[in-house]
Amino acid sequence: MTSQRLLTAYTWAFLIFMFAPLLLMVLSSVNDTSPPSVTQWEGLTGKWYAYFWMPEAEMRADPVLRALDRDRFVGCFGNSLYIAAFVVPLSLILGLAGAVLLTRWRSRANGLLWWVLLSPMLAPGIVLGLSALVFWGRLGVNAGLFTIIMAQTTFVAGYPMLILMARLQRQPIELEEAALDLGATPFRVFRRLTLPYLFPALVSAGVIAFMASMENYNTTMFAKGGACTFATEIGAMARNPNGHPPVINAVGTVIIALTVLAATVHTVLARREAKL
Amino acid sequence: MRGNDVTLDNVSITYPNGFRAVHPTDLTVQAGEFFSILGPSGCGKTTILRAVSGFIEPSGGRVLIGGQDMVGIGPNARPTALIFQNLALFPLMKIWENVAFGLEARGLSRRARRARAEKLLDLVALGDQADKTPSELSGGQRQRVAIARALAVEPAVLLLDEPLSALDLKLRQHMRAELRAIQRQTGVTFIYITHDQGEALTMSDRIAVMNEGRIEQVGTGDEVYSAPATAFAASFVGEANRIDGRVVAVNGDLAEIDTALGRFRARNPIDLGAGDAAMLFVRPEAMRLGHTENGLSARLMRRDLEGAFLNLFFDAQGIELAVHVTNDGQVAIPADGAAEIGFPSGRAVILPAGPLARTGQEMVA
Repeated sequence: MTSQRLLTAYTWAFLIFMFAPLLLMVLSSVNDTSPPSVTQWEGLTGKWYAYFWMPEAEMRADPVLRALDRDRFVGCFGNSLYIAAFVVPLSLILGLAGAVLLTRWRSRANGLLWWVLLSPMLAPGIVLGLSALVFWGRLGVNAGLFTIIMAQTTFVAGYPMLILMARLQRQPIELEEAALDLGATPFRVFRRLTLPYLFPALVSAGVIAFMASMENYNTTMFAKGGACTFATEIGAMARNPNGHPPVINAVGTVIIALTVLAATVHTVLARREAKL
Repeated sequence: MRGNDVTLDNVSITYPNGFRAVHPTDLTVQAGEFFSILGPSGCGKTTILRAVSGFIEPSGGRVLIGGQDMVGIGPNARPTALIFQNLALFPLMKIWENVAFGLEARGLSRRARRARAEKLLDLVALGDQADKTPSELSGGQRQRVAIARALAVEPAVLLLDEPLSALDLKLRQHMRAELRAIQRQTGVTFIYITHDQGEALTMSDRIAVMNEGRIEQVGTGDEVYSAPATAFAASFVGEANRIDGRVVAVNGDLAEIDTALGRFRARNPIDLGAGDAAMLFVRPEAMRLGHTENGLSARLMRRDLEGAFLNLFFDAQGIELAVHVTNDGQVAIPADGAAEIGFPSGRAVILPAGPLARTGQEMVA
C-alpha cells in the first residue's frame, strides 16, 4: 500500500518536473510582458506569435520587438530548413544502408560494426562539431552550412538506422528468399519488397531526423562558423542580459504543438502498419 | 512444364559453427517424380532442400539438376521453385501480383503477367480471389497461392518445405490429394520435405528416410513400410513392436534371434551373421492372437476399441507389444488377461541394433 502511494507520488513528481516548465512557457507566451513572466499578468496577447508577420511600423512601435533583428531570425530559420533538406535524405540513405548491413549481412564483425555506426549518437555533440570543423578546415572548407550538414549527418543517421533495423528484423527473411528464389535479382528484391515494407518506417525516421536536425544546438554551434541556424539563433536571443524576449516562448509553444502533431501522425501510421 | 532429375553427388554440408548437418550423401530423384524426404526435425532434410534451391552451397560434392552442375548458380538462376514452410507470401501485394512476381523478373508486360496469374489461380481454384491480399485468405487458400506462385516460373523442380504443417488435419488431408493431383497434371519433379509419415506415404512415388544428417533408406512407401532397412526407419515410419536380442543362426532369407522373450525366426534383409546385436521389428497388424509361429506369453494391459479395429496392448516381461486386429467379434481374452500371441516369420524383420526414433518424435510439428 505504501509502496503504491510512493509510486504514485513519484509519478506525479516526474510529470510535474517534466511538464510544469512547458506549461509556464506556454502561459508566458500569451502574457503581454517582457521578459516573460507568469507571476505578473499583463493581459492576453498574440503579439509574440504575430511578430513574424507583423507590419514593419507596428513592430517599430513595440519597445521589446524593436530591439530584435527579425530578418536575421527568419534567415537563420531558413538556414535550418536548408540544412534539414540535406541532412534528412542523407541520413535516411546512410541509416538504411547501415540497417540493411547490420540485419542482413551476418558476420562476426557485426557486433563491432554496430558500435562503430552508433558511436556518433553516443559521442558528445561538441566533439562531433569540433571534429567536423577541424577535419573540413584541414581540407580547406570553411565552417558554414556545409560543415553543419556534415556534422549533423554523422549522428542523425543513427536514428533512421535504429528505426529501420527494428523494422527489418521483423520482416521474415523468407520473404526475401522467396523473391530471390522466384528469379528476382537482389536489386529487384530490395525495390519491390524491402522498400515498400520499410516505407512507414522511412516516413517516421524522416520526421525524427528532421526534428533532430532542427533542434540540434551543440554540434551545430561548433560547426557553424559565421552561419546561424534556428537553434543557435534562439540560443543567442536567450542569452540577452535583460531577459529573453517572449517571442522565444511563442516559438517554443509552436514547436511543442508540432511535436505533438508529429507524434500523433506517427502513432496513426504505426497503428495502420500493425494492422497489416 | 516438364520435370528434371535431381542428383546429389556425394553432397555434404557443414555449417560455419562446425555442425555437420548432412553427411556425404548420394541421391537421385527421377524427373517427374514425387519424392519425399521424411525425418524428424533437425535431421538435415531442410538443409538438403536449401542446397538444391541454391541458398546453401554444399561443403563437399555436387548438386546436379537435369545433369547440369549447379555450383556457383544462385537461387534466382536455378530451375527450381521453393515453397516455404511459412509460405512467405508477399503481404503488401495482391494475390495475382504474388503469383506474377516471378514473371516480373522475366520482363513480361503487366497485362501478360495478369493473364498468366489468372490462369494459374484457376488451376488452384482461386480464380475469383486475384485482387485480394494474402491476409484476406484462409490458410488453405494461402497454401494454394504459394503453389501457384511457384508454378508461375515454370520450374523443372518444385521444392516443398513442410508446406502443410500450419494447416488443420482436415485441410491437410485435402491438400495432400490436391498436391498429388497438381504434380501429376504438371509433370514437375516434386521434392517434398516432411516429418509426417502419413503425408510421405500417401503422396510419394518414393521416400527417403533421414536421420541425423544421413539417409537411412530410399524406397517406395510400401518398401519403406514393409521392409525397413534400419532400426530408425522401422521405428520412425509407422508403429512397430521391438524386441532386442542377438542373432544365433542364419537360415536362407531368415535368421533366428535370441531375446528375453525366447527365440524367434524372422526375415534377415541386411544379412546379419550369428552373434550380431540385433533388433526384431513387427508391425502391430502383423501380430496374431493365439498359438502361432513365434509364439510368446503376454498379459493384456489395455484394450482400445477403434470400431472396426481393436488395439490391444500387451506386456511381456516389461516389453510392451501392440496388437491390431480386426474387430470380428471373436477376439476373446481370459479375464486375467493372460494370452498367447505371436507373428508369422515373413512379417517380421531382424535389423542391426541402432538408433531409434524417439517416441512421439513424428508428432512434433
